[in-house]
Amino acid sequence: MSATSLAIAADGVHLSFDGTNQVLSDVTLHVRQGEFVSLVGPSGCGKTTLLNLAAGLVPHTGQGGLQVNGQAPRQGNPQVGYMLARDSLMPWKTALGNAMFGMEVRGVPRSQAEERARAMLQEVGLAGFENALPKALSHGMRQRVALARTFAMGSPLLLMDEPFGALDAQTKLQLEDLLLRLCQQHQQSVLFVTHDLSEAVAVSDRVVVMTSRPGRIVADIAIDLPRPRSIRELQKDPHFHELYAQLWSHLESGWSKHEG
Amino acid sequence: MKADTFRWGAAHIVFIAVLLALGEWLTVNRWLDPTFVGQPSGVIKFLWSNIATGKLWTDLGWTMAGTLISFALGSSAALAVGLLFVAFPKVEKFLDPYFNAMNVMPRIALAPLFILWFGLGLGSKIAVGCSLTFFIVLSSTVAGIRGVSQDHVTLCKTLGASAVTTFFQVTLPGAVPVIFSGLRLGLIYAMLGVIGAEIIASEKGLGQSLAYLGSTFEVNGVMALLLVLALLGVAVVRTMTWLEKRLLHWQ
Repeated sequence: MSATSLAIAADGVHLSFDGTNQVLSDVTLHVRQGEFVSLVGPSGCGKTTLLNLAAGLVPHTGQGGLQVNGQAPRQGNPQVGYMLARDSLMPWKTALGNAMFGMEVRGVPRSQAEERARAMLQEVGLAGFENALPKALSHGMRQRVALARTFAMGSPLLLMDEPFGALDAQTKLQLEDLLLRLCQQHQQSVLFVTHDLSEAVAVSDRVVVMTSRPGRIVADIAIDLPRPRSIRELQKDPHFHELYAQLWSHLESGWSKHEG
Repeated sequence: MKADTFRWGAAHIVFIAVLLALGEWLTVNRWLDPTFVGQPSGVIKFLWSNIATGKLWTDLGWTMAGTLISFALGSSAALAVGLLFVAFPKVEKFLDPYFNAMNVMPRIALAPLFILWFGLGLGSKIAVGCSLTFFIVLSSTVAGIRGVSQDHVTLCKTLGASAVTTFFQVTLPGAVPVIFSGLRLGLIYAMLGVIGAEIIASEKGLGQSLAYLGSTFEVNGVMALLLVLALLGVAVVRTMTWLEKRLLHWQ
């Protein structure tokens, strides 16, 4: 497969900070267009670093090839949308203003941005909250606004760093369902960092297991659960639990290798 | 709610009336010496006659003008220097000890020098007021901008926002609450500086009148002006609170 048809093409990436502290070791990861890939692993395994490399937030000073949509990664690439665990909404902007923010910065005309933002807010279940300030919204609703902001930009590749990491369990399930629907609808490629295995299985096409010191890939597991999926139905599916157990054993083997 | 406000207002009026009557009673019977503490009726008489002649208004005008000009100049300079410090941290690092030394110096001690330099008029008052406002607003500007959410900055980076966009869309609005608390304090200190300098040497202003009345044992007049100053202070704080509510309704 040629590199240009890949959303992310990392080939043998090595990266170390300060010349000595090796963060990533021989990481090869290909994300196809429209594919949803999750990165799981213990904290410090370099999954966020890999994500930030693709976002251009961390300069690729090490060895190995890294391409995003066929180009070297760079900060502010309009083909890439980025989302954090904290909603990072501007408290002085309304839900609508926040949903428009990404598009506005990227030069989408105001009226068009507003129209799209309204439609997106409706899609994430926040119709009627357009003029609400973040202080008046719950954590889950705020993260919905952040999802609207991210998806409204229509970037072909989304990089998400534990976007639901700061939510309570129930809200998290609702937002995972929402994310499944949004991805179904918008057909974007996603690289998704999480430390929640069941979340990874539920939303992904593939789950990549990383281990720490140095960060490297120990397993790459295809999640062959049919789509469209719903979080509720998945809980009843024995194959979902098999995959979950399989991931667990890979994570554990990563730890024991490290300790051994 | 309305009835409640009314009841509280009535309670305050009764309280003030009782206090004034008590003061009047104590001084008429010479249990307190009106030469030193004044007399409520005398204070009211003083205010009444001064409101009519207009001397009070001129003084108030001068003091207010001095305060507002010091505040405007001092805080704009502080905002400019604050931005410079944030943009060039090395400049801040270098200037920090000097600014610190100036900031801890009791600024009112500069008044005699400023009066020599800028004369008895408004100039010397503005100089003292500015010297107080400047450092307060400067430190809040730097703190406000430095305290801006890193998540917002990261978001702007990933969106490819220019430095100017990031500054006006994220940094500045995020810093406004902290800057505003500095501005509020700066305005109060501008007034302090102006009145202090007026007391030391001036031709006009409430501070000048206060010093003159005090030196001629016109205690009723001193009390009247202190009342005016207290009301002025309250008005200033109220205005800032109102502005803050409008500007920072999102908090």
